[in-house]
Amino acid sequence: MLNFQDFKYAIRLLSKRPGFTALTISVMAVGLGLSIYLFSFLNTMAFKPLPFKDAENLIIMDSKVNGMLYNGGSLDLHDYHEIRTNLKGIAEFSAVDETSANVSGRDGARRYNAALMETNMFQITRTQPLMGRSFTETENQVGAENVAVIGYDMWRNHFGGDPEVLSQSVRVNGVTTKIIGVMPEGYFFPRNAEIWMPARQDATQMQRGEGGSYTGLAHLAPGTTLADINRQLEVIMKRLEERYPKTNNGQSAYATTFPMSTMGNGGNAFLAAMYIVAILLLILASINVGNLLLSRAIERSKETAIRVALGAPRSRLIGQMLWESIIICSVGGIIGLLVAAWGLEVTESITATFTDDKPFFWWKFGVDSFTIKIFFVFVIGTILVTGLLPAWKNSGADFNSVLRDGTRGALGKKSGRLNRLLVMSEVFLSLTVLIAASVMVVGTYIATNADYGADTDDVLTARVRLTQAQYDTPEKRAQFVEVLESRLQNTVGISKVSISSDLPGEYAWRPTVAIEGKEYVDEKSFPRATYIATSHNALKNLGVELRQGRYFDSSDKGLDKSTVVVTESFVERHFDSESPIGKRIRIVEVDGETPRWLTIVGVVEHTIQGQSFSPVRRDPSVFRPISQAPRLNLIVAMKLTAEQTVAIRSLRKTLESIDSDLPAYLIKPYQTMIDRNTAGIGFASKIFLMFAIVAVILASSGIYGVMSNTVVQRTQEIGVKRALGASDEKVTREFLWKGAKQFIWGGIPGLLAGGGLGFMLGQLMATGVVALGSISIVIVVIIGSVVLFATYLPTKKALQLEPSEALRYE
Amino acid sequence: MSNELIVLNQIQKIFYTEEVETHALSNISLTIKEGEYVSISGPSGCGKSTLLSLLGLLDTSTGGEYKLAGHDVSNISKEERARIRNKEIGFIFQSFNLISDLDVEENVELPLTYRKDLSKSQRQEMVKDALQKVDMSHRGKHFPSQLSGGQQQRVAVARAIAGNPSIILADEPTGNLDSKNAQAVMALLDKLHSEGATICMVTHDPRSAERAERNIDVLDGQVIADKKVLPNHSESTSITAEEAVAV
Repeated sequence: MLNFQDFKYAIRLLSKRPGFTALTISVMAVGLGLSIYLFSFLNTMAFKPLPFKDAENLIIMDSKVNGMLYNGGSLDLHDYHEIRTNLKGIAEFSAVDETSANVSGRDGARRYNAALMETNMFQITRTQPLMGRSFTETENQVGAENVAVIGYDMWRNHFGGDPEVLSQSVRVNGVTTKIIGVMPEGYFFPRNAEIWMPARQDATQMQRGEGGSYTGLAHLAPGTTLADINRQLEVIMKRLEERYPKTNNGQSAYATTFPMSTMGNGGNAFLAAMYIVAILLLILASINVGNLLLSRAIERSKETAIRVALGAPRSRLIGQMLWESIIICSVGGIIGLLVAAWGLEVTESITATFTDDKPFFWWKFGVDSFTIKIFFVFVIGTILVTGLLPAWKNSGADFNSVLRDGTRGALGKKSGRLNRLLVMSEVFLSLTVLIAASVMVVGTYIATNADYGADTDDVLTARVRLTQAQYDTPEKRAQFVEVLESRLQNTVGISKVSISSDLPGEYAWRPTVAIEGKEYVDEKSFPRATYIATSHNALKNLGVELRQGRYFDSSDKGLDKSTVVVTESFVERHFDSESPIGKRIRIVEVDGETPRWLTIVGVVEHTIQGQSFSPVRRDPSVFRPISQAPRLNLIVAMKLTAEQTVAIRSLRKTLESIDSDLPAYLIKPYQTMIDRNTAGIGFASKIFLMFAIVAVILASSGIYGVMSNTVVQRTQEIGVKRALGASDEKVTREFLWKGAKQFIWGGIPGLLAGGGLGFMLGQLMATGVVALGSISIVIVVIIGSVVLFATYLPTKKALQLEPSEALRYE
Repeated sequence: MSNELIVLNQIQKIFYTEEVETHALSNISLTIKEGEYVSISGPSGCGKSTLLSLLGLLDTSTGGEYKLAGHDVSNISKEERARIRNKEIGFIFQSFNLISDLDVEENVELPLTYRKDLSKSQRQEMVKDALQKVDMSHRGKHFPSQLSGGQQQRVAVARAIAGNPSIILADEPTGNLDSKNAQAVMALLDKLHSEGATICMVTHDPRSAERAERNIDVLDGQVIADKKVLPNHSESTSITAEEAVAV
């Protein structure tokens, strides 16, 4: 079928029409480039196995609360042990608790991402230390010598690459710890850890709820699937919920692959939408190029007829047409691959903004074997699609009639049907892509501009983690907060200091609560609320507006006091909007605190604790003075009155003056922290926007091309109709109606598909049905206008011919 | 005079292409009366089709005066020209010019759909009549691609006569047909003429031209002869109107 002579002829034809060649190659480069980029990007994000041996069957297990997925160590120690005992189909089990550690050195303390692990975790990743060894079972016992394995970067930077590092000790969280190993370069398992220590928690020696939270790690046994594991997890967790309703109310667990775990809630819907949009865009580009090649085939139908007359076999004719597709798609694909490679390189730096810390270690974007495979699949696919249209057009055509001339009737019907199909396809594809992309863009806009309830302007934030060893009593923790707050308040460059467990915009603990006077059938019926500890001036300093009652004041200070401030969303949900001042609530899950009734003294505006598009965005909050319920993990927010660098220096100096083992980390403007909440979806939204823009350009030009082609092919028909007395207006209306009908036929499925995708993304982005409806209407109007405009312009042009000219039009 | 349907006075048509001036028609003056059967003949490029386009209001003249049924149509609007073409003129083209997407009935109905004074049932009645006249009723639901050339031209004739126009303009109506189908179509035109239709036909086929009662010869854009044909022309035909519909 493919002949080298035909290849040379195709090259000659393409070089004779440089404009056409450049246009088609550009369209294919854009379509292939964007699709290759997106597939490669998503593969690395969500599907590529970690760079370890046997990583393809490595899974993680985390908790699910009321259907919402949690990740990064949320499985209760006792639940993990129950799962480990009862789960079938697992070859190896391990667990890890991702945390952070303050490591003190000669030049002060620094905070590192840390992992508290079961001793076999390195084995789970089939990785052995570069130097030294892993942990022994004895070292995992409570009371054993404190030991740690450090990462390659920490060894190089903190210890200057000292080959004698294994004989040294460092202070980790205020405790002298012996270094027993160094992991190889690039090893940060599970996500970005740089120091690993034994977990040392024995579920048999602890009460339920007293242990830490873990991420379960496992290798699937041969023949077991993720679905099998998830089915078993549901059963096991259901049993635990029934047995321990107080601690396990609404709790379940799920298993997934490691990369997929970072996609969070709605990850599958998001991935599906992205893949569908990428494929649709590629089809749109292919249809456009196919249509351009089809126009050329029509132009050359006489030449093709002569070839047939001279005895050319049909396979040879198709082969000749395919050569053009092969050249255009291959060159376009290579350009697209280069563009995708550049885009993936740029993405590496963009994804670094998605998380507070270093990006996940497996996020290495670039042209890999998967990218090359997908390149070949897409190029071959587009060759077939683009080559198919002209081949179909030329198959079965009455070439004898072409040679005899005056045969437009014989070909006209088939061409007309094909053109209608092309327009309907373009309408369908563009509506689907545009509605989905618009939902994402609008959702991101809403999320980005959400009111978190706090004033973020000129506010600097920093995390401080108190160590259990040094701050083992609530009194010590409360005193630390009081000292830090008073010292910072009097420091140059800083004013309005707030110290809290969490700031608005951050996810926080959501225990179950009870309202005095309300009856609860069982443990499961307690509602949940975000529970945050704050310094007494924090809410006022952060600009969280007071609605009723008062903010905390000095009268609330003290471990023996029991007061809370709630958000107005809490009042709406639990007090039917009546004044709650003076009424009492209780935190049911106490987490070490003594359970007691807490009196509501004030109501503040709603604060969003988490991402503004997440399902928890409407969850109510309860604030407690940190002097009443001290915490180990703190975040300091300071209003800047001088340069940021001055404030950072002041903060570090103040902390060192209180405790030299305490570093401040994740120091950043509050707004940056808030922006990070939407960085991921913002990036996805930009990709969608880019796809939408390309889709509009491709669809508009494509629809115009096809409609224009249709009208040109019908110029004689227009002449006939005018000869028979049709007015210009009548002809115009007739063509516009034909265009409208094609729009309706392509538009209805497009609206359904786009609406479906938009609904899926809308759930993820919390845009709502009204926004989806409005977006759909706007997009329908835009594409409808494009179709009508694309019909009107060539019709008007055709009507400028005299009827006699139109009748003779070739 | 009251029975003068078409009056051309000093009609000119000049085409301008890249500074080249082509005189397609030069000072043509002629009159066609109601009920006349006129043929316009001449060699290729002589201007006969241009003349027919002007007569059919498919094109506008560069100069001169054109009266149709007593009304000056030289400088009327496009909309008015469309209205006159629809009601007063029936066209038959060499290449049939049927719309491939429409079936036979829809093709014949097409000009009638442009008229606001006809109801759906009236249009259907007129279509039925026209198809009966050309004996194509049995092919009403067929598409043009399913018909032979002769059948397609008979449908085109039905379309031309469906609206009872004042004049039928035929441009080489037998040019794309074999001799048997050509004679059948010519017999149809004869029949229409005998029923009172005014026909103006462009042809370079002397046998077709002979069937008209008046023959206008055009050369280089000018009328060089305008003569009545002897009344015994029908004797030379080898097929009758009744036979024609059977082809």
